[in-house]
Amino acid sequence: MDEARGWLLDVYADQVGGIILWLLTDDDKRLRLRMDFSVTFYAAGDFSLLRQAWIYLRDKDVKLERSARRDLFLGERDVLSVTTSNPSKLPKLFANLSRQFPSLDYYDADIPLSLRFIAQTNTHLLGRCRVMLDDEWVRAIEPLNSPWEIDPTPIPLRILTLSPDSNPVIRKPTQLRIRYERGEYSLPLEPTRTFMISLKADLKRFDPDLILTEYGDTWLFPQLTVWSKESGIDLNPNRDQSREILTRRADSYFAYGQVIYRGAQAHLFGRWHIDRHNAMSMGEYGLEGVMEQARVTGLGVQEMARKSPGAGITAMQMVTAIRNGVMVPVQKQQVEGTKTLIELIRADHGGLIYQPIIGLHGNVAQIDFSSMYPAIMVKHNISPETVETEDAQEGLVPKTLRPLLEKRLMLKNIVSDLDPRDCRVEILKARAAALKWLLVVCFGYLGYKNARFGKIESHEAVTAMSRELMLQAKELAEDMGFTILHMYVDCLFVQQQGFERSADFTPLMDAIADKTGIPIAMEGVFKWVAFLSSKRDARVPVPNQYFGAFDDGTIKYRGIELRRRDTTLWVRKIQLAVLEILAKANTPRQMMNYVPDVLAFVEHAKHNLKAGHIPQEELIVRQKLSRGLEGYKSPSPAARAALQLQAIGRQVAPGQSVQFLFTRGGSGVQAWELGDALDHRRLDTKRYCTLLDRAIRTVLDPCSS
Amino acid sequence: MGRTVVTITQQLNETESMLSPFRRTLRRNDQYVFDGLFAAARRHIAAIGQAESLLPFESAMLAMLLEQSKEIAVLQQKLEELMAKNG
Repeated sequence: MDEARGWLLDVYADQVGGIILWLLTDDDKRLRLRMDFSVTFYAAGDFSLLRQAWIYLRDKDVKLERSARRDLFLGERDVLSVTTSNPSKLPKLFANLSRQFPSLDYYDADIPLSLRFIAQTNTHLLGRCRVMLDDEWVRAIEPLNSPWEIDPTPIPLRILTLSPDSNPVIRKPTQLRIRYERGEYSLPLEPTRTFMISLKADLKRFDPDLILTEYGDTWLFPQLTVWSKESGIDLNPNRDQSREILTRRADSYFAYGQVIYRGAQAHLFGRWHIDRHNAMSMGEYGLEGVMEQARVTGLGVQEMARKSPGAGITAMQMVTAIRNGVMVPVQKQQVEGTKTLIELIRADHGGLIYQPIIGLHGNVAQIDFSSMYPAIMVKHNISPETVETEDAQEGLVPKTLRPLLEKRLMLKNIVSDLDPRDCRVEILKARAAALKWLLVVCFGYLGYKNARFGKIESHEAVTAMSRELMLQAKELAEDMGFTILHMYVDCLFVQQQGFERSADFTPLMDAIADKTGIPIAMEGVFKWVAFLSSKRDARVPVPNQYFGAFDDGTIKYRGIELRRRDTTLWVRKIQLAVLEILAKANTPRQMMNYVPDVLAFVEHAKHNLKAGHIPQEELIVRQKLSRGLEGYKSPSPAARAALQLQAIGRQVAPGQSVQFLFTRGGSGVQAWELGDALDHRRLDTKRYCTLLDRAIRTVLDPCSS
Repeated sequence: MGRTVVTITQQLNETESMLSPFRRTLRRNDQYVFDGLFAAARRHIAAIGQAESLLPFESAMLAMLLEQSKEIAVLQQKLEELMAKNG
């Protein structure tokens, strides 16, 4: 028997039974390995129905057994267990069975294969492992490290970057830019046959582990299939040549209070494909972050790059469940318990949100509880199955979160100990941010109606605890002589005469951490900060809208135009520049001195706009289409721009954002993607100046009061 | 998001719009003062919420009273300072 060591690249079902593993070995080989792997799902419910299900399944080449398994909420249940040695057949088998017997409860039927694999072998994706081999057959596999390792040996990936010379939606590309290690060149797309032969040769020569593209999901890979047929050059971008590209169609869905559009996807086998323009969170934490999420969640890199962190946290809970012998329900069955009206009013709150004291304040410290909600879940053992029981064992959710929370805290501590110029800082920060997102969404998934392991009461228990802790922190601060200027869910803004440096606030922070048991961190001391009032009534304060400058000159702002994605780049740039001017002031009183500079700067900017000196890219307004075009009674500017696109045969789905310029006359807008050059004299400069004035008023108003 | 019970902010908005015929009948300068009452209540949304009352408007009125008392206290202090200065 042979032995091989390396990194686990990919796991998926083999269509002829068992599974395929891809191993990147220590001697830089890429091995396609096969392994026997059975998967089981369960059905529970009425006995006579189970009996019929048994009869239905008898000749389906599966192993049937009666056993008892644990449901998280109901405890032990008698189940019919259905095992197949061909995991690729499971989805169809389950679909047929559940269509025949819709009233049975099903468990473990839709667990992604990679999760089953890591739960069973204790390995992890991108992790190091050792395999014992008989030719291509894996006889045994064991992990050589853990996903919780802080500094894992980096996986030596070969990355190939492919990008067209233009956005295919706007202009037909003519060349494909190809980048690999230090080499880079452009390949003309025509003639198709030559292009296909060259690209095929490149793929073969470079043999990349990761193909990083721009518009690969929506343009390149679908197009390759077409060109393959046209040119007769069979180009299969998979490393596993027995598989075809797995495509998923585009869709629009509703989540986090907004309509979201997700483009079509092209997944590969044996290597990964990530499309930078279709990767939900890549901008937030980059490839390093996506790989970190794949490591800890067990969902593949291609999945994690395109999905929300919610999918990741669900995956982690599934793995915890499998490892603890708990079945994963296919549909969520937990309904909300009955409550009286007063109980409902009592329970149905979010986090504590104070109205800030409007105006400018000097020497204000912002202190934040670190990962407050997950920390509460872990410390107080809040989990859907423990919420109404006392002295329960550690629940599924805290068990899943604990290592995640610890790892993130350790990464953050390492980063703060390193020199900011250290080359490791960026990578560690990206990984900590990726973990943070998993932690952030975990709370929402406690109460989300489609979550596997959610129960609204556990969600409420977390917010109730957070409000209690915030009040404790407030009381402590006031006992120590501080004024509370603002509190927002997990952060406090405090001030006291004579307290100016970060160290002055340490005794307060120690006291809070001591009392609440949740770690608390100093965000910074503002030399001045302005809390804003409502645009409607200057006497009404608005939570979480502020801007200020820390003592080191860094600017922080929330809720103002700069933070809004629908603000044009031009306005954002100027608002930021204005804040930078104001940040020179060391006290609230000094700010008045800088107002003339600001006004002059803004006048200059307006002059540049009118003179046509501003690149039109900076004037693009970006708005999301919230419904189908037929749904508008009086079309918004975004809808009018979308109508222009429709007129030239381009469809815009709800949730997709439309980019346009404000113009004089006509419909008042011009869709950016029309690609037509616009004479700068046709720009609606008045409208842009109004937008700018509004943003400038936001930052100047507090200075003058 | 995902709440069953309407938030205190929403409830206050609703009460305010329910009272709009009342407000409309007031003189313009009284309307400004009236709006000030709701502005005062809105400074204490968090506290009204924590009161967990079936009738949050009661707590809202307490918040209005509280702001008023605060203002009186401030004025009183200013007055005393002035009187002391003027002997």
